[in-house]
Amino acid sequence: MEAVGAREEEKEEEEEEEEEWLLQSLRLYEDLHAFELQAPTRLIEWARGNRVCVAGYGQSGGNEILQLLPPPTLQVKETQGLCPERDFKVECGGFSNRPVYSLKYVPDTSLLVTSGPPDSSLQVWQVSAEDSDVIKPVGAIPTVNGTGQPWAKIATVSARAPWVLHGSRLNSVQITEVESRKNVYMAASSNSEELSGLAFLDGNTLLLCCAKGQLCLADVRQPQSPLEAVSVPSAPCGERWCMGVGRGPQGSDSSSQPVACLSSGGYLTLTDLRKTSESLASAKCRVPSPSSGAEFLCVSWAPALEGCLAISGFDGTVHVYDMQSWDSSGREAEPIFVHRGHAFGGSDSSGGPPLVTVHTWHPQKPRTLLSAASDGSLHVWDWVQSCGKCG
Amino acid sequence: MPEIKVTPLGAGQDVGRSCILVSIAGKNVMLDCGMHMGYNDDRRFPDFSYITQNGRLTDFLDCVIISHFHLDHCGALPYFSEMVGYDGPIYMTHPTKAICPILLEDYRKITVDKKGETNFFTSQMIKDCMKKVVAVHLHQTVQVDEELEIKAYYAGHVLGAAMFQIKVGCESVVYTGDYNMTPDRHLGAAWIDKCRPDLLISESTYATTIRDSKRCRERDFLKKVHETVERGGKVLIPVFALGRAQELCILLETFWERMNLKAPIYFSTGLTEKANHYYKLFITWTNQKIRKTFVQRNMFEFKHIKAFDRAFADNPGPMVVFATPGMLHAGQSLQIFRKWAGNEKNMVIMPGYCVQGTVGHKILSGQRKLEMEGRQILEVKMQVEYMSFSAHADAKGIMQLIRQAEPRNVLLVHGEAKKMEFLKQKIEQEFHVSCYMPANGETTTIFTNPSIPVDISLGLLKRETAIGLLPDVKKPKLMHGTLIMKDNSFRLVSPEQALKELGLAEHQLRFTCRVHIQDPRKEHETVLRVYNHLKGILKDYSVQHLPDGSITVESILIQATAHSEDQGTKVLLVSWTYQDEELGSYLTSLLKKGLPQSTS
Repeated sequence: MEAVGAREEEKEEEEEEEEEWLLQSLRLYEDLHAFELQAPTRLIEWARGNRVCVAGYGQSGGNEILQLLPPPTLQVKETQGLCPERDFKVECGGFSNRPVYSLKYVPDTSLLVTSGPPDSSLQVWQVSAEDSDVIKPVGAIPTVNGTGQPWAKIATVSARAPWVLHGSRLNSVQITEVESRKNVYMAASSNSEELSGLAFLDGNTLLLCCAKGQLCLADVRQPQSPLEAVSVPSAPCGERWCMGVGRGPQGSDSSSQPVACLSSGGYLTLTDLRKTSESLASAKCRVPSPSSGAEFLCVSWAPALEGCLAISGFDGTVHVYDMQSWDSSGREAEPIFVHRGHAFGGSDSSGGPPLVTVHTWHPQKPRTLLSAASDGSLHVWDWVQSCGKCG
Repeated sequence: MPEIKVTPLGAGQDVGRSCILVSIAGKNVMLDCGMHMGYNDDRRFPDFSYITQNGRLTDFLDCVIISHFHLDHCGALPYFSEMVGYDGPIYMTHPTKAICPILLEDYRKITVDKKGETNFFTSQMIKDCMKKVVAVHLHQTVQVDEELEIKAYYAGHVLGAAMFQIKVGCESVVYTGDYNMTPDRHLGAAWIDKCRPDLLISESTYATTIRDSKRCRERDFLKKVHETVERGGKVLIPVFALGRAQELCILLETFWERMNLKAPIYFSTGLTEKANHYYKLFITWTNQKIRKTFVQRNMFEFKHIKAFDRAFADNPGPMVVFATPGMLHAGQSLQIFRKWAGNEKNMVIMPGYCVQGTVGHKILSGQRKLEMEGRQILEVKMQVEYMSFSAHADAKGIMQLIRQAEPRNVLLVHGEAKKMEFLKQKIEQEFHVSCYMPANGETTTIFTNPSIPVDISLGLLKRETAIGLLPDVKKPKLMHGTLIMKDNSFRLVSPEQALKELGLAEHQLRFTCRVHIQDPRKEHETVLRVYNHLKGILKDYSVQHLPDGSITVESILIQATAHSEDQGTKVLLVSWTYQDEELGSYLTSLLKKGLPQSTS
């Protein structure tokens, strides 16, 4: 009887805490939604019409890829009418035997590509929401010597649809035309450094980020020339790095925006790609060392809020920073907002507190973000700007 | 093959009303009898002529079951029982029986008095209809007749909502109605045991929804109320006496306490007494928390919430008022609305669906100039908000329920098959069951495979296992026995035991066949020829030549005699028991082919 009583008390305490946080949230957020997915996701991708795509990453198969129609609150309307609906609708879905670690829509096509262990190949899927609600597997893009390689990172850009940039190591970076499956570019590198991310800066320039921190540039029109290394960030070795690339307004050159790099030790460095000899600014974020290595490290620029970026992957929180006042001293920076909602979820599959697996900014609404955690929670939050800061 | 037939009644793909016909083992049951709230004419009623063209409904249907008091599940009931004509039993839970007539009467008043309709049921019809209702308790097995039984399970969702199991012999169907898998502030979560029905019927509309958490919806409500009150405005919340009102009050009370707010909150009289009465009556239907609070204090004695007096509506300053009726169609809530509508600082929060023709429905549709009695125009400047607090299951919930009940088949109503392929695959993959999605008016037939339990006698079991090889789990084993059906039980026993029990003498059946063979030699030479022939062919069998001149093949006897009239023809007598029929026939046809020429 005692054990039951103790458990009940614990539950009541937890509920008390959650209630307390919810009351605080009235002041902290304009709007807040909390959803529970059947399985946790480590990706949130935007599709046309502000649709959102998530996918499971379970090791034992049966993972679902879900394309969701957003509730009206996420759609941008001039006159926000009555919004009784606060729910996502599953528009279409597919089943993947592999865990899905990365997913990208291929612009101007009805296709999307995914990647995940146990190798660096890509799976190609067809989405045809009008005819049926099933996302069908239509093939794969295998990679040479791909078995046993880490999973591929993927990038696409509308200027170069239907190209898909992918690779798991510097020497395996390639661009494949998704419909014909033909390779149109192979990086000329003998370096087998593992990649943590890659991106198109524009239709011709690629930016590659190594897990150890090094950034490299490549020109698609010159496949034979070696990759141009950008300066390595000065931070303790042994840390893993990931990058976030700013996105200018549709189709514009993003190479003007600095690249943000985040390390597993909490260092954030900003690099201007035109002046790569020194870092533009850097700061140390007050975060705990991530419990699961650097698997879920994520940094992203706000598309509609000048100079703001968000980081996650260290614990159950998402931090938002304004870097406009930063210098290159690497001092500790204060976040302008911390989202703590995921800490009040259940526990994840390993029994520990939930860990934020990914976050993303809403493309139009300046202060709206989506974040997902290892317990299957998916939050949509619009935080309140405290006066005197950015925007 | 035994089968279960399901037909959702209704026109097109409309989601608006629930009314499902189920045919199981010769019994016909109607599940729910809802009104479609979007139509003003006969389309709001289900098409009952579908059920039976010329017979009486009472003769055709064995019973009607109503899952809960929402109008899209019970709104057409008085029309069905009194105007179309049905006198059989109508089953529902006790709270549903108590609350249904109140909502039906309200609905009738709006439709007839406010909108002036004539082809509608009357107050007396509602009363007469309710007389046919048999109320049931949770988990109580109710015998509708000798073969048909039903049982109600807790569904959450609203007070008194239930899921029903319908059982005839070994075949059963579970209908979920509307349910909710997560407990909220005043109701628990749906629960069902591993009853393994042949079919589970549920709504498809929830399955593709991923619902925002209850807490975030509540937060949105609190935020709206708080903002209005902070700017000095007044908040009107029209409520039903027995819906979410209690829950919203508890919520506001907690919030006011925590935030130390001073603005007054009022609860219109009549609401308190009625609500109190019903909650006390049905306290077992609420959740643990409510029951605990109820024991400690009267549920509706709040610190911050007071009884309303109509004079308060004119008081200056912020306030929050809960008033009936819920659709703003008459009474106190409408009165207050008229006073406050002109001020943009004020807010009205509609907590539920409003029937067409009500002020609630009009303002939710965006109308801002309303015509009131005496041709007066009311300009609505106050903010109009809509909160959906109804507790429905979602994609995750439906999977949980299927996991709990373990049905052999799943049927989802109110969905478009083309748009539900993913869900169908999901259910089929996860649970290895078939998933059906009929359109309204379409009949789905599900074939069942009822297991018939049979007791086998120990003696027979021992005997069968003693013969030959060990049983292979992958292969079905064929065994022979006698089935005795007595007093609703089946027993499998050996034939000898059956004969003994029944006091019958055992008879042996023996076949004898004559085969003519041309052979001029002596009889014993013919016998030798036959013996050698058979021995050569039937290598796996025991073929013996006995001293008395006969041949045995296993237990079959073959004797040769000369034909009485023709010495050149020999007659072979082949004799076998019924048990050896197969071998006997084979031997006979073999011998009829004749003997090979050269034998020693």
